[in-house]
Amino acid sequence: MAADPIASTPDGLVESRILDYLQRELAGPEARLDRDVDLLSGGVLDSMGVLRLATFVSEEFGIEIEPSDYVIENFSSVAAVASYVGRARSRTGGGDGPARS
Amino acid sequence: MMPKLLHQMVQDAALRHPDAAAVRCDGASLSWGDLASRANGLARVLLEAGMARRERVAVLLAKGLRVPEAFYGVLSAGGTLVPIDPRSPAEQVIRILRATGVTRLVTEPGKRDLAATALAGCPEVAHVVGLRPEDAVARPCVPWEEVPPSGEAPAVDVIEHDPSYILHTSGSTGIPKLILHTHHSAMSFVDWAVAEYGITREDRLTNASSHHTCFATFDYYAAARAGAATVILTPSVLMMPSSLAELLERERVSMWYSVPTALVQLSLRGDLESRDLRSMRWVLFAGETFPGKHLHRVMRQIPSARFSHVYGSTEVNVCTYYHLPPASELAGPLPIGRACSTTRTLVVDEQGRPVSGGEPGELLIGGSTVMSGYWGEPERNRDILVRRPAPGELEEVYFRTGDRVRALENGQLAFVARADRQVKVRGYRVELEEVEAALLSLASVEEAAAFTVPDAEGSLAIRAAVVASGEGSAEREILGGLRRILPPQAVPERIHAVEAMPRTPTGKVDSRALAAWLTEENAPHGR
Repeated sequence: MAADPIASTPDGLVESRILDYLQRELAGPEARLDRDVDLLSGGVLDSMGVLRLATFVSEEFGIEIEPSDYVIENFSSVAAVASYVGRARSRTGGGDGPARS
Repeated sequence: MMPKLLHQMVQDAALRHPDAAAVRCDGASLSWGDLASRANGLARVLLEAGMARRERVAVLLAKGLRVPEAFYGVLSAGGTLVPIDPRSPAEQVIRILRATGVTRLVTEPGKRDLAATALAGCPEVAHVVGLRPEDAVARPCVPWEEVPPSGEAPAVDVIEHDPSYILHTSGSTGIPKLILHTHHSAMSFVDWAVAEYGITREDRLTNASSHHTCFATFDYYAAARAGAATVILTPSVLMMPSSLAELLERERVSMWYSVPTALVQLSLRGDLESRDLRSMRWVLFAGETFPGKHLHRVMRQIPSARFSHVYGSTEVNVCTYYHLPPASELAGPLPIGRACSTTRTLVVDEQGRPVSGGEPGELLIGGSTVMSGYWGEPERNRDILVRRPAPGELEEVYFRTGDRVRALENGQLAFVARADRQVKVRGYRVELEEVEAALLSLASVEEAAAFTVPDAEGSLAIRAAVVASGEGSAEREILGGLRRILPPQAVPERIHAVEAMPRTPTGKVDSRALAAWLTEENAPHGR
């Protein structure tokens, strides 16, 4: 593997950063979260939570979120968000810095 | 014969076109024939267990095909339906069950934990449909598998002035208001809506809001009246605007009804330009002001639809309406329009005297869609359902909306402000809606909500939360912009930048939750 900064955060680390954020900011410490819990129908996220999570991943991983990215498959679980982040990074070629000013 | 009872509509539709779709959700659907026989089956189970007419039966279900089945089943058995917000905390469910004297519960395995906790606090609930005996809720249970469909509706004596349902409001704290309607008050609205929007069995409505709200009266019952289908939207699809847009195209949805927020999200993040939404005929919205810049864009994105601003509340259903002209002809704030054919409107001053033309005053609503009253609250009912003298030494009942309006020259009504959103700041009157409108007029502000907090001098201070981005979105830039358009006392002392607004289950901004959240220690700070 080339030392490409885009791929410098391993998938597992992306997942754990998302999980930490959800636990800390949105779900509360008592919620039992893991990478496969359904974030949308399970009541972890509401529409405000979705936008906060989107802002977090956009800034944390330096990706641009397009309107067409707001689909169930991209946000249904921590694993799904991490995999979406991976795809969005290779698409935009974004680095680790925030994509938005 | 015209149906006069909500559940008669399902029997009618099942006779006329049994195989047409009645409800659809997540790719599954029920025909009118299926829905009628399942509702009959549930009604029979309830009656065989000894249910009496007018008993309150709560429905605690996630969004899905069981919702209309349970609604029509309870109504067909002559029960008074109490739909519960499935996202309520257990304490709220207990409060509602107790306050309305619920004796039976219809639920499902997915809600087992919430139902069990609520039931533990409500010994009066004697019978449960939708759980299994081994779910250990300490009372008789009939699982869904043991509710056999039945081709025949049970014979139950219900008249149109009997109660139909008790809806609850969803304040984030405190006791919810419990609003009782009859079959007649619901059907009056339903008949008006079907005629005004020309709903036919070709139409496809949506249920976007939670099914315990007054939006569901349109989504489910107006559809049934016309034999149209209702597409139930799950929370997942509602949170993902691009998935929602795809669903609207795939399901060929023709009518939409929600608060503006849901449409704003769809417009900003739904990638609507790539969708074919030509099937959309009517978009109805209610509950909040629709910021002009968003409204113009949505109207351009869904050019086939006519847009209708409807006004009302859970207590009175929809009572005024305004069909919008094309986006290019929109100017200024939207009026709430004119009274529905079901409704008499009156604008009165603080002494209850009608104001002279054009003066602002409180809007009173009379007519056939008005609720029977708040359940179990005689004092509140005396205060809010006012009796006014009528010819013949008789009296007419009007509902006090708490909304200030004024009549325009063309006879339309314009909203001025919620009476309870007029606040006094250091002796000055300020309308919080005006502060929000000023914020939204700034290019960088996408959403805005104003609220008050107590200040050090024992008066109130205004604060605002905004969703803002791009140039001019810093707190001092927003404050600078406001100082050019608002009087000094109306300029918030602080602007909080947030990523999104907390909302009630109907989708309105939850200003109480917002104030609590932003005044906590860990509140996000203005940038």
